[in-house]
Amino acid sequence: MKEDRMDELLIKGTRDYHEPGPVPREDMWARIEAERGGRDRDVALAPIRRRWGWAVGGLAAAAVLTVGIVIGRRLERASVPSTTVAAIPQPSRSSSPESAAAAARTQSESENLAYRLVMLRHLAGTEAMITAFRSAARRGEVDAQIGDWSRELLGTTRMLEVSPVTQDPTMRRLLEDLDLVLVQIAQYVTSGKHNPDDLDLIEQSINKRGVIIKLRSSLPARALPAGT
Amino acid sequence: MARCLAGDRIAERALYDAHVDRVYRLMFRMAGEADLAADFTQETFIRGFERLSQYRGDSSLGTWLHAIAVSVALNGLRKVKRMHGRTEPIEESHHLAVQPVGLTGDLKARLHAAVDALSEKLRPVFVMHDVEGYTHEEIAGTLGIPVGTSKARLFDARAKLRLALAVFAGDHIA
Repeated sequence: MKEDRMDELLIKGTRDYHEPGPVPREDMWARIEAERGGRDRDVALAPIRRRWGWAVGGLAAAAVLTVGIVIGRRLERASVPSTTVAAIPQPSRSSSPESAAAAARTQSESENLAYRLVMLRHLAGTEAMITAFRSAARRGEVDAQIGDWSRELLGTTRMLEVSPVTQDPTMRRLLEDLDLVLVQIAQYVTSGKHNPDDLDLIEQSINKRGVIIKLRSSLPARALPAGT
Repeated sequence: MARCLAGDRIAERALYDAHVDRVYRLMFRMAGEADLAADFTQETFIRGFERLSQYRGDSSLGTWLHAIAVSVALNGLRKVKRMHGRTEPIEESHHLAVQPVGLTGDLKARLHAAVDALSEKLRPVFVMHDVEGYTHEEIAGTLGIPVGTSKARLFDARAKLRLALAVFAGDHIA
């Protein structure tokens, strides 16, 4: 009985819950038409924007890599005199074997830092590309731009594979894994066949090698923006 | 339908006119604000027109549109909640609700706060059934759940509201 009264109270009490006013039909219709007109234009422009977006992304990746290499080389050059001084016997304290070793260490650390920054940026971009590819593949909408993106990243991967970052065995293995996955994606897109078996092989490579997990664990709490 | 698919704006307007009132009412009940309700309704129709070719006729067109509307509203409300962090959890509204105040207006306000605080699964079912008068079949079709699940969620929602209002409403019943 009490429960019935409670239900009655609930129904009475909620009858005017967020009571709607008059429906702004014309306002909403006008906005729907305006929005749809805008979206039609966006749909037409989307492929162009995507293509340029990725081209800019690729250029940014190349620029970052170049900056990293330049920093590394400058650091190397800057450290040459001290190394030379260290090689010639001098009475000063700076020529001691300890200071030469310290200078060499600093040079090496700075160089590694520069490459490491480039590497992190590259990993963030690669993760974004693999995620985009998987999502597009699920929808059956893999297009040529993804192929371009994967080839750009493959180029950067191969440059990094001959850089000092590979002194770290974990990074070296990760780059090797990325090389394989990126080749597979690029070939999948280029072939244009979109064979489910090929897609399955790519998924196997990603999953068996734990590529996404490795990528995410290598990125320090999303410190770097993705997309390149 | 065929004319809408062909991009006939007059047919689209006719479809809009046929469904907009009911969609807007539900959006307003879900959102509680005219601007948000209008935004959700607009987005529902925009998506509806965009995806009309995907409509297979498994349910009525109205149910199909309502399914889009509920999805739009829940996603939109999640964003609003993230931005404002204003929706209090059920436990907090329960504390509010059990403080006896003794006025009909307060009872309503507390009841409405308790409905606001229902979970994402329970609130649409409660609002659609007890507030807007949809049948369980319509709710099931809209939310993509079995009819039994709709009934069970309504039962849970009412139980939570009864609990939230127990002490306060007890005074009124007495």
